[in-house]
Amino acid sequence: MDQSNLLEKRVGVFICHCGTNIGGFLDVEDIEEYTKGLPDVVFTQRNLYTCSEEGLSQIKNGIKEHNLNRVIVASCTPRTHEPLFKRVCSEAGLNPYLFNFVNIREHCSWVHMHERKQATKKAKDLIRMGVARVRLLEPEEDIEIDVEPACLVIGGGIAGLTASTSLAKRGFKVVLVERDATLGGLLRDLYKLYPICEDATNVLEGRKREGESYPNLEILTSSEVKEIKGFVGNYEVTVDIQYPRHGIRIIKVGVIIVATGAKVLIPEGLYGYDGKRIITQLELEKRLKEEREKLKRLNNIVMIQCVGARGDKRAYCSKVCCMVAIKNATLISRLNPEAKIYIIYRDIIQVHGTEYEDYYREARDAGILFVRYHPENEPVVSDEYVKIYDEMLGEDILIPYDLLVLSTPLVSWEDASNLAKMLKVPLDENRFFLEAHVKLRPLDFATDGIYVCGTCHWPVSVPEAVSQALGAAARASIPMANKKVRVESIISEVDKDKCIACGLCASVCPYKAIEIKKTEGGKKAEVISASCKGCGSCGASCPMSAITMHQFTDEQILSQVKAVLP
Amino acid sequence: MPKDVLVIGGGVSGIQASLDLADMGLKVHLVEKLPSIGGRMAQLDKTFPTNDCSICILAPKMADCFGHENINTLTFSEVREVSGREGDFKVRVVKKARGVDETLCTGCGECIEKCPVKVPDEFNMGLSERKAIYLYFLQAVPRIATIDRDNCLMITKGKCGICKKVCQRGAVDYDQKDKEITLQVGAIIVAVGFDPYDPRNTSQYGYGRCKNVITALEYERLICASGPTGGHLVRPSDHKEANKIGYVQCVGSRDVRKNPYCSSVCCMHSTKEAILAQEHNPGVECFVFYTDIRAPGKDFQRYIKRGMAEYGVIYIRGRVAEIIQDEDENPVILYENTETDKVEHMKLDLVVLATSLVPRHGINEFANLLGVDLDNFGFIKTDPFNTVITTREGIFACGYCQSPQDIPESVAQASGAAEKAAEICFR
Amino acid sequence: MRFPDEGVSIKDEGSKTEFSPKILSFLCNWCSYAGADLAGVSRFQYPTNTRVIRVMCSARVDPIMILEGFVQGLDGILVLGCHLGDCHYIHGNYFTIKRVKLTHKLLKQAGIHQDRLYLDWVSAAEGERYAKMIAWFIDEVRKLGPFGEVEGIDAEELKERAKVAQGAARSDKLRWLAGKEIDLCGEERIGIQGKNVYGEQVSKEDYDILMNENVLNEYTRSGIISLIRENPLSIKEIASKLKMCPAEVLQHISILEHAGVVFLTEEEGRTPRYIGV
Repeated sequence: MDQSNLLEKRVGVFICHCGTNIGGFLDVEDIEEYTKGLPDVVFTQRNLYTCSEEGLSQIKNGIKEHNLNRVIVASCTPRTHEPLFKRVCSEAGLNPYLFNFVNIREHCSWVHMHERKQATKKAKDLIRMGVARVRLLEPEEDIEIDVEPACLVIGGGIAGLTASTSLAKRGFKVVLVERDATLGGLLRDLYKLYPICEDATNVLEGRKREGESYPNLEILTSSEVKEIKGFVGNYEVTVDIQYPRHGIRIIKVGVIIVATGAKVLIPEGLYGYDGKRIITQLELEKRLKEEREKLKRLNNIVMIQCVGARGDKRAYCSKVCCMVAIKNATLISRLNPEAKIYIIYRDIIQVHGTEYEDYYREARDAGILFVRYHPENEPVVSDEYVKIYDEMLGEDILIPYDLLVLSTPLVSWEDASNLAKMLKVPLDENRFFLEAHVKLRPLDFATDGIYVCGTCHWPVSVPEAVSQALGAAARASIPMANKKVRVESIISEVDKDKCIACGLCASVCPYKAIEIKKTEGGKKAEVISASCKGCGSCGASCPMSAITMHQFTDEQILSQVKAVLP
Repeated sequence: MPKDVLVIGGGVSGIQASLDLADMGLKVHLVEKLPSIGGRMAQLDKTFPTNDCSICILAPKMADCFGHENINTLTFSEVREVSGREGDFKVRVVKKARGVDETLCTGCGECIEKCPVKVPDEFNMGLSERKAIYLYFLQAVPRIATIDRDNCLMITKGKCGICKKVCQRGAVDYDQKDKEITLQVGAIIVAVGFDPYDPRNTSQYGYGRCKNVITALEYERLICASGPTGGHLVRPSDHKEANKIGYVQCVGSRDVRKNPYCSSVCCMHSTKEAILAQEHNPGVECFVFYTDIRAPGKDFQRYIKRGMAEYGVIYIRGRVAEIIQDEDENPVILYENTETDKVEHMKLDLVVLATSLVPRHGINEFANLLGVDLDNFGFIKTDPFNTVITTREGIFACGYCQSPQDIPESVAQASGAAEKAAEICFR
Repeated sequence: MRFPDEGVSIKDEGSKTEFSPKILSFLCNWCSYAGADLAGVSRFQYPTNTRVIRVMCSARVDPIMILEGFVQGLDGILVLGCHLGDCHYIHGNYFTIKRVKLTHKLLKQAGIHQDRLYLDWVSAAEGERYAKMIAWFIDEVRKLGPFGEVEGIDAEELKERAKVAQGAARSDKLRWLAGKEIDLCGEERIGIQGKNVYGEQVSKEDYDILMNENVLNEYTRSGIISLIRENPLSIKEIASKLKMCPAEVLQHISILEHAGVVFLTEEEGRTPRYIGV
C-alpha cells in the first residue's frame, strides 16, 4: 500500500459480533449503518469473530481492496487483543500505529446486557470517538538504539565479582572497577561462611581465579568512577585510576551493574566498644582467622545483638547478624567446648529459611545460651559483667565476660549518594539503592540499563548476594545480547522551537528520561527515547505545548473529548 | 545455534525466568500444570510491604509472557520424562486434553454460564463454586475454557453436551486426547513453587472442625475484590462481618515433628492481612499470635511498626495450645502468653492460620523424574553458595521450590537461574 | 466528595425517569482500565452514561483536556488511575492529584460545581468497585442536574467560562505550580523531601495560598483575553464588563502585553484600546 498519501484519510471500521457476546446485546447492524456516516470512514464490515482467521483476513482484504490507511476494530479489550490486530495491519502493509481499538464488549455489551438501546448508542459514541482519534494517528516506527555490548560493574566484592565473571563467561566485555587495592570486599575479612562453614578465603579465591582467567574481563583496582554520561546502550564512564599509575580512563559501555556493597557499623560509644575486649562480629571474624589460639583460652564470651540497629536512627534489621552470631558462637564452642557463650538478643532471633533454623537448634544443643532483652531494658555493660534483666527469672542477672562481641548492622557507604547522583538513581532513607519495583523488579533501577545487586541494595548473605548478582547479570545481558534496545513509539518528543528549557518536564519524569541540553538554539529539553516509558506526564505539564506524546497527543485526546457528544 | 530452554512452572518465578531468557533472544518452552499461568501470586490480594495489588502488577507480566514471540507457553501440561544431559536434554511433555480447542476458544464464557455442574473452585480455595467447564480465574492467561473431566456430565455420564451446543465457535471437543510433545533443550529451570500445608494434620488448630478458622490463602481470596465475596471480609459460618480477627503464626512450621523450618513469609503476610482488614473495615481488632517476628527484608521492620502504630495491630507472643469454638461458632484461642508465662484465652470472630508453606505434593517423584536431589525438607537441593545450581548439571532451580523466600527474592533468583541457563544455551 | 465504597448499589434507579447525565471517564491502561475490563468479564451491570478515553497513565490527563469536556457541556468527568503506590509509572498518579487539584480550583473560579469532576483509584482487581463507582458518580451528577443547573448559570455561558478556565490552564504559571508542588512541598509517601532553591521545604499552606492567588489572576487574565480577542476594548470598557476596578485591569493588561498576548491598538483621537491574540 502506498503510505505516502496519508493525507487523504481512509478509515476502515471492523465491528465484531463476538458471537452473541456483542451481537446479542447491541444492534450491530445499526451501529454499522451509523459508522458509515462518520467522517473519513470509507469502509465498514461486521465480523462474527474479528479475531478468527476469517476475521483477520477480512481486515487484510479490507486494507488492500479499499486502500485503507486507518483501521479501527470495535470489539473487546486492547489489553489482550491489540498486539494481534496491529500485527495483522502490519502484515497487510499498513503501519501498525495507524490502528485504533474500540472496546464495545468489556466496556459496553457485557455491562449493559439489559439496555440494548442505550448500549447501542454508547457503542456508536465510542466508535465516533475512536474515529476522531484514528484520523489523527500518524505512522510511527519502533525506535532502535544501538547498544555497546560491554558492561561496567562497580564494586569488586562477591556480588560484583560474580556478576562480572558470569558475564565474561558468556563472552561479553566487562570492566570491573574496585576502589580498594584488592578484590573481595567484606569477604576478605570473614573467616567461615554459613550455612556450611566454608572458608571465606576459599570461596573468594575461587571466584577471583575464575574472574582473572577471562581476557574479556578487565579488572581495575584502586580505581573510582568519577563521571557517568549517557543512557542505556551508550554510557561514557570516566574512571580515575590511582594505581599502578595515576590516570584517567574513559570507558564506553552499554549497561552498568551497581554492586558497591556496604560496611559494618563501628559502634563508637555503644556498650563500651574499644576494639580490644569489646569488639564487633567482623573483628571477631578476623581473630577467628588469625588468633584462634588466643580465643581458645577465653572462657566467657558474650554477644549482644541489634547494636545500633532497629532503633530510631537505623530502624531496619540487618538480616545477617543473627546467623553470623550463631555461626561464630558455634565456631568458638568447637574451639573450646568448655567456654560459656551467651547470645543476648533483642526479642527475636532472625533465622528464616530451612537450614538456618537447624543451625539455631544445633547451637542451642551445643550449650550456647540465648537470653532475650527488651528494647526498654537494654543490657548494661561494666568492666567485668553484662547486666541484663532476665524475663524468665524476673530479675537482673550478671554475666561475666572475657570477650564481648557486638553484632552491628551493615550500613551503606557515606558516599553512596555521590554515585547515585552520577547514575541518576534514587537511594532510600537508609542510603541503600532503591530498585525500580519492590516486588517485581528487585534488580533493576527505574532508569534502563542500570542494575543493582548485593548489600548496596539491602543487607544479604553471601548465597543471596550471589544469586542476585547472577540475576543482575542476566538482566544486564539482555540489551547486550540484542545489541540494541527496541522501544515502542509510545514516547514523547520535544519541539525544540517551542521549548523554553524550563525543566518542568524533566522534573515530573519518573524515569529521568528528559535532560536539559545545550544546543545551537540555546538550552533545550531532550527526550532520551531509550529511557522513555510513555506515561505522558511531561506532556501534561509542559507550559509551551512543546511536547508531543506519540500515540497520545494533545490533539488526539482532545479530539476524543470533542467527539463524546455527537 | 543457541539452544532452547525449558522452564517448569508458570508462577512469578517461572514467568520472570522465561521473560529474561526470551528477551535475550533464546526460545523458551514454559510448561504449566494448571490451565493458566500466574501461580500462587495470582491468588494473593495485595503484596507486602507496599500493599501493591497483586494481580495488577502480575497481569501485565503474564500477558507479556504469553504474547512473547520467543515463549511457547504450554498450559495444562506436564513434564513426564527428561533424558540426556546439559546442553542436550530431551524432554517429553504431555499437553493434557482440555476438551476445548485452544485455537478456537475466545474465552467468552457462554459455555460456563450454561454449564449445569457446580464444583468447588480451587482457585478460590473452595470458598466458591465454579462450573465443570471453567476459566481457572477471571484474569486467566490464556483466556481459554477448560473442561474438568472428572465432573463433566458429558464425559462421565455421556449426557448433557450443553457447552458444545452453546459454543458458537465449535471449540468444545469432548473427545480431545492428551498430546505428547518432545522438546529438545539445552537447560532446564525448575520453578514449581509450593503448596500450603494442610492444617488438618495439626488438629489442635481446629481447622475443619471450627467453621470460622480459615487458612491465610483462603483469607487472601476472601479479601480480594475479585474473590468469592467481592472483597467482603465475612466469616464462613454466617457471612457476618468479622470484627475481631486472630492471625496464628507458624502453623505447621518451626515444629520438629512437622516442618522444622521457618516458612519465611508468614510474619509479613499476616501483618499485611491485618492491615488490609483495617483498610476494609476500620476499627476491626486484629491480633497476631507469633513465635518470633521475623522481618528482615527491605522495609519490613517499618511495615510491622506501621501495622502496630497506624493500624493498631496487636502482636501477642504466644504459643497456641488449642483452638475451639463456642456455641455461636466463634473460635476461641487457648494460648500460653510467652511474655507473661500465663495461659490465656481469647474469643474471636475469625481465625486465620498462617500455615507453613511446603514443597509441592509429589515433589519426590518429580525430583526423581528430573534426576535432582532434594534437601532434608523436600526443597530442591542446591549449591550452598550458588543457590540456583541443582545436583544435576544443566538443571537450575528458583523460587519457593528451592527454599522458602518471598516474591522479590524469587524474582531475583529466577533471573539468576536464567543467567546460568543462558550461559549453557548460548555456548 | 468521596466514593463511600459501602452501601452503593450498581442499579441505576433514576435513568428511566430523570435526566441522564453525560459522563466522560479517563482511565489509565494498567489499573483502572483493567478494572473496567474486569467489571465486563464479571458482567457487573452499570448504567450506560459513561464514555471512556484510555491513556497509559492518569498523569497524561492534562487540565486542558478535562476542561475541554466542560467546554463541550458534559455533565461530569471522572479521572481514574492506579491506587497510590501501584502506579505502573512509579508515581505518576501523584502528579495526577496535583493536576486535578488545579482543575478543581479553576472550576470553582469559573463557577462550575467542583463535584462534576472526580478523581479516584481503581485497581485491576476491583471490577465490582469500578461498576459501583460509575453508578455512584452518575447518581451524584444527577443530583447536580444538567450542566449549569446547580450553578444557576445558563449552560452556554458556563461553557464560555470553561473556555476561560481552559485558557488559564494553559498559562505557564499555573502549569509550573501544579508540576512543581511535589518538588517544593515534598511528598512523604514517595520519600520526596521538598526543597526550593534555598534548600527549604515550602509549607503546603503557603503553596495553597500562592496557588489560589495565581488561579484568580490567570483566570482573570484569560477572561480579559477572551473578551478582547475579537473586538478591541479600552481599559475602562473591560473593567465595566468584568466588574473590576480599572487599575486592576491595567495591571493585568500590562502583564499580558509584556507576555505578548495583548496588543495596543491606537487610533487617532480615541482612547487606547487593547486586542488579544
